[in-house]
Amino acid sequence: MEKQYKHWEDVRDLLRNWREENCRQSEDVVDLWNEVLANHFGKLGDEGWLVLEQVFIAALDCHNMEVANFCLSKLNQEFPDSLRVKRLKAMKYEASEKYEHALDILDLIIKKDETNAASRKRKVTIYKSQGMIIEAIKELTDYLRIFMADQEAWMELCDLYISQQEWNKAAFCVEELLLHSPFNHLYLQRYAEIKYTQGGYENLEVARSYYSQAAKLNPKNVRALYGLMLTSVHMASNSKCPSQKKKERIKLSEWATNQLSQLQDSNDSKLFSSQILEGMGNLQIGNDSKN
Amino acid sequence: SSSMNKYIFILGMVLLFHAAYSAAQHRSYLRLTEQEFTSLPADIVLQTIFSLLLTVFGVTMIAGEFKEIRSNIDLQKKTWKNLNNRPSFYTFNHRGHIFNP
Repeated sequence: MEKQYKHWEDVRDLLRNWREENCRQSEDVVDLWNEVLANHFGKLGDEGWLVLEQVFIAALDCHNMEVANFCLSKLNQEFPDSLRVKRLKAMKYEASEKYEHALDILDLIIKKDETNAASRKRKVTIYKSQGMIIEAIKELTDYLRIFMADQEAWMELCDLYISQQEWNKAAFCVEELLLHSPFNHLYLQRYAEIKYTQGGYENLEVARSYYSQAAKLNPKNVRALYGLMLTSVHMASNSKCPSQKKKERIKLSEWATNQLSQLQDSNDSKLFSSQILEGMGNLQIGNDSKN
Repeated sequence: SSSMNKYIFILGMVLLFHAAYSAAQHRSYLRLTEQEFTSLPADIVLQTIFSLLLTVFGVTMIAGEFKEIRSNIDLQKKTWKNLNNRPSFYTFNHRGHIFNP
């Protein structure tokens, strides 16, 4: 932590920003809490309970059980019968690897309240932490049958399928996400990556079109540009490619390479040099055209 | 929003109401004197338009920062690092606890 946040209002705003952006900077959160907010907790008002939850989860991430217990006890004092606090208690058992206790508490919550989405998702997480991916997938698909519009859950299912190398099912999950937000270049890029991984000429075609859409929406998306370059070069060197499309493809890959080197020049990044970019073009087997 | 913008907005609304009231009064005057109603007098029309512009200006200044209309520009600022985080699915069995004995 380089900056010294002296004023508790700045810290509160920063934490609110991290809450909304889903940033997972747990050490910073716990440090900020210890330095600044613990002394000013009374001034936070209603937002204080949200901050407590955020600090609790960050403390579990850092395995700082003192802070976690303190937050939990304060929340318990204020909301003694709350299902949300019970769920946090189950998370604490998860962090200490007492999975059976956690599962018991979650089952109790679900019995009390059938519509409680968050506890069902925690059950999936427990199976995932124990490495029982197949059960996690089954639980998550049952959950999604009930709560079909939950974007987080679709993303999670996509990741689980990728870990099991079920590309078709992962692609289906990303398609659901794309229905919700078709302008999100990151989802488009993800879909293109899954198609590219599947391989085969038709999938490469699909991947190329999705990569180009992602690059169109965000010209600074380096992964999309790289994907564009690689797919067009692969397709150009494939035997199934008709010759007039070959020239198009090669032009496309050259354009993508240009964009990448422009971005890299403007960024002045030492991470990669233009030689590596050229080298990547030369790596393709059977690539007859020279850039 | 500065108080100047609030005053402009209030002035605009007051002028608008005044123009509406004088237009209604004008019509009732014409009805009383049994004249035909062809159009409102020019000054009422001008006052209406001017107060409308004033009100609209005041409201937009009070409203604050405008959001970008193109949805993809907003999304360009997002990175995969944060978009990929799913708070409901955080696991805690990573190596984090080694750093905190």
